[in-house]
Parts: sequence; C-alpha cells; structure tokens
Amino acid sequence: MTELDTRAVDAPAPPRRAAATLRNMPRNPYLQYALFGAALCVLPLLASAGVLKASTLSTLAFVLIFSIAAMGLNLLLGYAGLISLGTAGFMGLGAYLAAYVQDDIGLGFWVALLAALVIPTFLGIIVGIVSLRVRSIYLAIASLFVSEILLKTFEQVEWFTGGTAGKQSAYPVIFGIQTTRGSMFVVCAVALALVMMLTHNVVHGQMGRALHAMRSSEVAAKAMGVNVLKYKLVAFSVATAYAGLAGALYLFFLKSSYPSTWGLFLSLNVIAMVVVGGLRSIFGTVAGAFVIFAVPELVLKKLPVIGDISGVPYIFSGVLIVLVIMFFPHGLKGLVDLVVGPIRRARSNKEVTGA
Amino acid sequence: MSGTEALRIEHLSISFGGLKAVDDLSLTIYDREIFGLIGPNGAGKTTVFNCVTQFYRPDTGNVHFRVDAERLHRHGHKAAGAEEIDLVGRPVHTIIRYGLVRTFQNVEVVPELSVLDNVLVGGHIDFKATMAEQMLRLPRARREEKEYRAKAHEVLAFLGIDHLAGRPAGGQPYGVLKTVEMARTLMAEPRLIILDEPAAGLNDSETENLAETIRKIRDRYGCTVLLVEHDMRLVMGVCERICAISFGKFLALGTPAEIQANPLVQEAYLGAPGE
Repeated sequence: MTELDTRAVDAPAPPRRAAATLRNMPRNPYLQYALFGAALCVLPLLASAGVLKASTLSTLAFVLIFSIAAMGLNLLLGYAGLISLGTAGFMGLGAYLAAYVQDDIGLGFWVALLAALVIPTFLGIIVGIVSLRVRSIYLAIASLFVSEILLKTFEQVEWFTGGTAGKQSAYPVIFGIQTTRGSMFVVCAVALALVMMLTHNVVHGQMGRALHAMRSSEVAAKAMGVNVLKYKLVAFSVATAYAGLAGALYLFFLKSSYPSTWGLFLSLNVIAMVVVGGLRSIFGTVAGAFVIFAVPELVLKKLPVIGDISGVPYIFSGVLIVLVIMFFPHGLKGLVDLVVGPIRRARSNKEVTGA
Repeated sequence: MSGTEALRIEHLSISFGGLKAVDDLSLTIYDREIFGLIGPNGAGKTTVFNCVTQFYRPDTGNVHFRVDAERLHRHGHKAAGAEEIDLVGRPVHTIIRYGLVRTFQNVEVVPELSVLDNVLVGGHIDFKATMAEQMLRLPRARREEKEYRAKAHEVLAFLGIDHLAGRPAGGQPYGVLKTVEMARTLMAEPRLIILDEPAAGLNDSETENLAETIRKIRDRYGCTVLLVEHDMRLVMGVCERICAISFGKFLALGTPAEIQANPLVQEAYLGAPGE
C-alpha cells in the first residue's frame, strides 16, 4: 500500500488530459450553444419564405424568452435549492421598465435593456436580504408577495404601465437598425445563447461548486468557507436579472404588455419548465419551456375536443408536473440520459482502458 | 511535550437546556501533534469540536488558535507576525481562512459532483476571481481554475485515488468518500485538521490504512491533527497524546499507554469497579 502511494505522489498529472480535450472538441459546450442559437436564426427566414406560420414563429419566440427566465430559476432551484414564486413579477417589471425607458423617456434600446436588468435585480437583492436571513423557504413567500404587489402596481400606476388597458411599445432600433418581428426573433435567439453560455460558466466554476455544496449540506459548505447567505443572494439576483431580461425581450417582441400576463400562473409555469426540463440542465430548460409553453399553443389548442376546453394549458402543466415528479424526477434530461447514458458510458470506459 | 502551541482551549463550557454538555474544559494542542479526544458515548466530544469550529457558540471560554502571518495576509488581514487569535464569535465560514478545517462524521460530499470537483470545493476560499470574471471566463478565472484543478489532482494522487477524479462522487464506496473528504481538507493547506470519527464505518484494513494516511498527511503538510474518535485501535495506534473526557468534564491527559492504564478512564468506559 505504502509503496504504491509513494509512486502515486511522484507521478505527474495524467498526460491523457490534453488528448481528451482535443477529442472532446465537437462536444465543446460553447460551440453547442452557438450552433443552437445559429440554428434558431434560420427560423425567421423559414417564416418569411412561408414554410413556417407567423403565429408559430411568435410562439417559438416566447419559448426562447421564457427559457431565459427559466434558466435563472433553474440556477436557483437546481443549484441553490431555493424556490421563487415571483418570477412573473420581476419579468413584468422588466417589461414595463423597458417600455417606459424606450418609449416614454426615449432613451433607446440599450438603456431600456439595462434598466430592465438592473432595477429588478436590485429589488430582488433587497427581497433576498430580508427573507434569506431568516430561512430559505421565506424567499418563496416573500417573492410571491412582492410579485403580487408588483401585479397590483401594474394595474394601478397608469402613467408607468398604462393600467389594465396595457402598455404599447414599438420594435426597437438596435445599432441603428430598425428591427422587425423576424430580427427581434434573432435578438431573442442570440440573447438565449449568451444566457446559456453565462449560465454554463456560473455552474462550472467556483460559484457552481459553492452552490452545489450549499444545496447538499449548508453545514459542510460553511466549513469549507462558503458564505451561504452571499451565495443564496447571488443565485437569486442572477435569477431576477434573467427574469428582467426576459421581460424586456417579451415586450420588444410583442410590442405590448398587459398586467394579466404577469400573474402567479406564469411564475408557476416557469417552475414547471424547470422541473419538466430537468434540474441543472441547460438544454433541458429550453426543452421544458418548449413543452410547457409551445405544446399547448401549437398542439393542444388545435385538437378537436380538448382544444375547446378553456384553461387547457393550466391542466396540461399541472398534470405534467405531477407525472414528472412521480415517474421522471430528472425530467426530460433524465429521459435523454436514460437513452444516451449507456452509450456514452461505454465510450468513456473504452477511453479509460485504451489510454 | 514541547513546541509551539497550535490550539489552546481555555475554560470552555456550553450547556443545552440546563444540561452541561462541556464543563470547564481546558487543553492545549501543540504544533504537528496528532492529538486524540476520546470519551464514552455522549461525553461531549463532538460538542467540543463544534465549539472549536464555531458551529456552536460556547457559553464561556476561549479557543486560541495560532495563525501564521502569511496566511492572515493572504486573506486580507493586517498582521505583523504570527498571531494568536480567539476563534470564539467568528462566523463559521471564516474559520477555514485561519487554516482550521474539519471533516464530518457522516461524510458530507456532493453526490452530483465529480470526485475532483468535490475536492475543489475545499479550495473555495483561495479563488480570487470576482463573480463577473467567472461569468465571463476572463483570464484570471480561467488561470485559477486550471491551477487549482492541477492542485486537486495532486492531492488526489497523494491519497492514491486520482484515477477516480472524473467519476461522480455519488455511488463511490464509503471508504473512497472518506478519502475525498480528507482530500478536500488538504486543498485548504490546513494548519489544523479536525477529524470527526474518521474510522466510523470502515473495516479493519481500511482503519489500518487510515492511520497510515493520517501520519502521512501530518508529515507532508506539517499540520496538526485533532482526532475525535470512538475506535480505540485507531486512537491508540496513531495519536501521540490523548485527552479523555466524560460528561463534558476533563478526565485524563497523556500518552496512549498512560490513558489505557488510567483507572478513571477505565471506570468511565467500563463502569465503576466492582459493579
């Protein structure tokens, strides 16, 4: 035993790592996200060629937008183990801020985007500081309250939100180019790809490990020097920033916003996207957003009998959440792993023995 | 025993709802010593330990810990030379910065992370890149990640489990998880490692190896080891000095042979003679 150990000490870091990096190039995650974004950019072309219906393109744009919000919630729920019931409120705030700054003040797209990112995040940090000091579960309660207060605000403060009549906006001018429906779709796709890359960086470094350690055992995380409150706040502020961004993109794509959009149902739907897609999975989150938002819109509402029932999307996400939690706790990602896992394992075993 | 003091516990007391878990305990542990804290079930061993690492705030008493200037400087403290600090009242997550790291009785590793990533959690405090730098993968964040990854591999190789680095921690055998936890403490370049019942759940040969590993760690890292343990073979085999406590009170202090021969200790473990 001792002899073996001394040899291990003297041995340098395994030399096969460089070779493995080369072999993994096609599996480079950044490349995957970029390719995914690029592939999405083709869709508006298909729409203008008449292959894809304009309404379908809109539905897909909302899938991308909700994916961004869900990505933030996945970081919060999947990594930090916290839950927020206020995603919709922060999204709505982002949307109205974007409209107010772009159209009422006239400061243009970038300032509007910045406002939609910074102000909800700031509010989120305050909510987090107040609630997370006590216990993790209070974040869910506090975020729900704040979201409901925001919803009432959206209805009442007419100079800011246009009240129940809604706020109208226009496609923004980005880099001097007047966007259209198609180019806004591209903007959403680019934003989603960037958010995927940022999220990847967050979860695959020191921060991600700290979040993992914290979720797994707060006591152990503290012993390793993780400032638990700080990392909970970080996760929540990233989630609110993503929600604000998603809200702004929603407004820019739809050119209008109504208070009824930003209710509890949307917050719950975002949670459903994360759970159905698979906790801690970046592509899974997008898949979850597609299933939860696009399937009712594109498929269910067009079915003969089912499509006539009002509130089909509600029933659909409710039933799906129950099914996923009962039978597929890892969501769509778990389903994919079930199929791909054995293949990948066989391949990596070959690599290990072959090296 | 001579040498510089590493840890000095003075008149430590803590009670829970009227029950004195630790009662006026004082002891000194010297630099590079392998020190054992033993006692029958419910003697307050783990409580002492939690008072040292500030998971519990003691009612009275001090925990003095000697920190070298270089380490204080690295974590942004101003200090002229080696300094003795009182740990009592400091936030739990700051304790590791002074070079005091612990393991857990029921191994606390993250099953979803790889063995290597679990070890890297131990290097948490050494990362200097800001959050923005990490989110954008700026050069400093990338360089640090690479540097500490190499260091984690080194530590794993030192403990003989580098071949498992890429495997998920969940599903590894118990003995391996214990080693992963040990590796995690080493990432922090500890001055004092506190091991909470490291032999619990290990078989005979694993316990044998553990004693070997503890000595090896002390020699290589030049650190002090405080062992809170139930397993008498391990304690008697590896510790240089042992302190026995019973019902939170100091009972005896000495070499393994002295402790084994001590009538008070025998009584505490086996009951009063003649019973």
